[in-house]
Amino acid sequence: MDLIVNGQNRTVNVASDTPLLWVLRDNLGLTGTKFGCGISACGACTVHLNGQAVRTCVLPVAAAQGQQITTIEGLSNVAGGGVLHAVQQAWIDEQVPQCGYCQSGMLMAAAALLSSNSAPSNDDIDAAMTNICRCGTYQRVRAGIHKAAKALQLSRLPGTES
Amino acid sequence: MKRRHFIVGAAGMGGALLVGWGVMPMRSRQGRPALLPLSAGEVPLNGWLKIASDGMVVLAMPRSEMGQGVHTALPMLVAEELNMPLAMLKIEQAGADTMYGNVAAFMSALPFHPSDTEGPELATHIRASQWLVSKVVRELGVNITGGSTSVADAWEPIRFAAATVRERLRQAAASQWQLPLEVVRIEDGHVVGGKMRAHFGELAVQAASVDAVTVRLKPYAAFKLLGKPTHRVDVPSKVNGQATFGTDVRVPGMVFAVARMAPTLSGDVASLNVAPATGLPGVMQVVQFPPDAQRAGGFAVVARTTWQAMQGANAVEVTWAPGVGTPPSTQAIAQQLRATVQARDGFAFYDKGDAVAWQANAASRLAVTYEAPYLAHATLEPMNCTAQLVGGALKLWVPTQVPTMVRAKAAQVAGIDVEQVELVVTQLGGGFGRRLEVDFVAQAVRVAMAMPGQPVQLLWERESDMRHDYYRPMQVATLSVGLGADGTVDGLRIDSAGDAISPRWMDRALPLLAGPVDMPDKTTAEGLFDLPYDFKHQHMAHTATNSGVPVGFWRSVGHSHNAFFSESFIDELAYAAKKDPVTFRSDLLQHAPRHLAVLRSAAQAANWGQVLPGDQAMGVALHESFGSIVAQVARVQAVSDNQWRVLEVHCAIDCGVVINPTTVAQQMEGSVVFALTAVAYGQIDIDAGAVIQGNFTGYPMLKLAQTPVVKTHIINSLRAPSGVGEPGVPPLAPAIGNALFALTKRRHRRLPIDGLSVQ
Repeated sequence: MDLIVNGQNRTVNVASDTPLLWVLRDNLGLTGTKFGCGISACGACTVHLNGQAVRTCVLPVAAAQGQQITTIEGLSNVAGGGVLHAVQQAWIDEQVPQCGYCQSGMLMAAAALLSSNSAPSNDDIDAAMTNICRCGTYQRVRAGIHKAAKALQLSRLPGTES
Repeated sequence: MKRRHFIVGAAGMGGALLVGWGVMPMRSRQGRPALLPLSAGEVPLNGWLKIASDGMVVLAMPRSEMGQGVHTALPMLVAEELNMPLAMLKIEQAGADTMYGNVAAFMSALPFHPSDTEGPELATHIRASQWLVSKVVRELGVNITGGSTSVADAWEPIRFAAATVRERLRQAAASQWQLPLEVVRIEDGHVVGGKMRAHFGELAVQAASVDAVTVRLKPYAAFKLLGKPTHRVDVPSKVNGQATFGTDVRVPGMVFAVARMAPTLSGDVASLNVAPATGLPGVMQVVQFPPDAQRAGGFAVVARTTWQAMQGANAVEVTWAPGVGTPPSTQAIAQQLRATVQARDGFAFYDKGDAVAWQANAASRLAVTYEAPYLAHATLEPMNCTAQLVGGALKLWVPTQVPTMVRAKAAQVAGIDVEQVELVVTQLGGGFGRRLEVDFVAQAVRVAMAMPGQPVQLLWERESDMRHDYYRPMQVATLSVGLGADGTVDGLRIDSAGDAISPRWMDRALPLLAGPVDMPDKTTAEGLFDLPYDFKHQHMAHTATNSGVPVGFWRSVGHSHNAFFSESFIDELAYAAKKDPVTFRSDLLQHAPRHLAVLRSAAQAANWGQVLPGDQAMGVALHESFGSIVAQVARVQAVSDNQWRVLEVHCAIDCGVVINPTTVAQQMEGSVVFALTAVAYGQIDIDAGAVIQGNFTGYPMLKLAQTPVVKTHIINSLRAPSGVGEPGVPPLAPAIGNALFALTKRRHRRLPIDGLSVQ
């Protein structure tokens, strides 16, 4: 099975119905993506498939074949040069994580939201961010998304390219 | 703060250390430098701290990071005393020596009313009990992260260890530079004097041989770091996927196991046909394990990957036996508890005046019954443990709150000496009390024993995690008062009943301290017997039951239900007395200035008493737990179809001296979400001996869209630090219930409360 993970071609020998989550974690050693529920209810396993947020605990690896898979490990590289993605920097600035277990999925969901909606309203965030955080970091997740949105808007202004 | 002077001799740290009288003398808590494992160039100064050749300071970290910020808070204590930037400090997991035990966690289990443990002159029996317990637990040295005690426990020993290093560095510099000690100071992580400047590494060897120093802890007024909002050291690794949780452990050659247990709580395997599984791709072995630590028996399938292990587990043909001690249904337990409360013969945790007589003579009597259900912890990282048995030695990687118990349990199961168990504590993907348990460790060790040499990571699926928890016990309480003809409310009597946690936990986790007879369990009565209100006549009794359901410590423990009971009832009394709920409480708190200040802070911040739109109302609750006092004012709004939402919660907290205000705010925000989840959804049901709910569909979690705005207000305090991780949980349920009563005139006396809007 040929996969494109964080821009690299990877070949894995797994059953085609294996959920992408376990291929990432057990076959490719990318443990940033987490297992939480196994029924697509919590979002800890969220990655990007061609830039869209998908929950991988129920996504057969065959469905991801040949497509661009981005995990938390590849999020900053996507932004370029190892610089943190705007959501990652905002997560640090707003001190979002507590235990941190859900945050990879939370960050991937937030990054996907911002790629399709550069200035999400609170209602947009409510609708898009359905991941579970048992520590209850939601208020800071919201603040982090607003902060990242502003940072991305600034970086898009002419003359402020970093 | 109390000024204490300490004299330390390098030769025998213990013997030469003079301390003021206290319940926790620090002589046994500085430790020998030899306790610290060393890398090249490192110089140990005591059992807590060593200095690397580049000037970095390394702290032996005894506590587990589960989101509460302890891996930042304890380094902050060191950085403050050593006048150094936090970035110059590293942590390494502390070893197994008893000096790293958590004394405060056990001190807080003593069933004394808080008002009896205040002030300089304590009753002899209280001092004696505190002395005895502190001595015993210091000897046992149980390393535990729980009870919101990590900072409280570390507050003196770790600051003292750092201050000692500071004075030794100054002394060493003064000698080396031939300067008077007074002109040598420490700034920005460097020793400075005259024209000389050196980093700690350059003076570490000399500092280690300094004979004796006089140590004085920094006065609070000189704090530069403590009390300042500080970025957590663990956050960068939690935004890039690099933080290593238990499930992220990868050992060369490691394979994956999935555990399946009997559906009933006390069940076991009756018959097992592993043949259909063993032929499947990747499947290596099936290992049966017996019931242990109040945990059902079952089996684990070991395979090359987790998914293959799950397929193997699905293929195993198993029949289950119910086992012995199958618990009744939750409905039957609730009925039993109601009857138990009616019997009114519980252990009296608190008696003052004569509540019974007062009620008998009162003009009328108000008696109501409150109930709270079983709850699961549902940490987002399910239970897991990585184990490898090599020769006669075990290596474990565990996300745990109880390193001491993990090693003891593993040694017992493997039949080896505890010294042969090496434990790496990983990051914890949530704890909330669930990781005070060792059931999954016993299973992983049995798998490792079946495959000697092979590193195996054992994982529970979500359904196993939810159906095989140690649940927050169901509790029932009847609360009553007498109402005088003149409007006086007094004669508070509380009779409550529910399963006791501590004796069962002792049985399975700390058998050394378990006795033949259950001692009265303070943890289930706390938050009812220790109310701050100035009732002249009080009687509080709790009956400890044992339903057979495995019960455990759930974030804020007894306070989690008892605050709902007591603070909802106080609200009822305010209405019965025709007084405003804040005024009613304030009138009963004239002798309790800390409580009063916290209550007023929350009320003022929320602009209590303001005229609200007709679809909104506020509710207030005040509760002390883990040494801290929290008041919350919740503003709720009615939405269509009997639905409600929470708009805003103001939290005021007095937790003593604050280490990191960022963490305090995080914990208040998280506590509100954790508690609101329980208010709206939390209920575990048992039928035919098995838990019904198995995943987040049946046991939902609050989502971002439902999260109120949470605002934290910290009371300035010069008291020693107290708990932060749990005290935000208890007041939320009554604040919501009281707000809903203000809105609808319907009193909620049972949790959960239906109708939380999805947005």
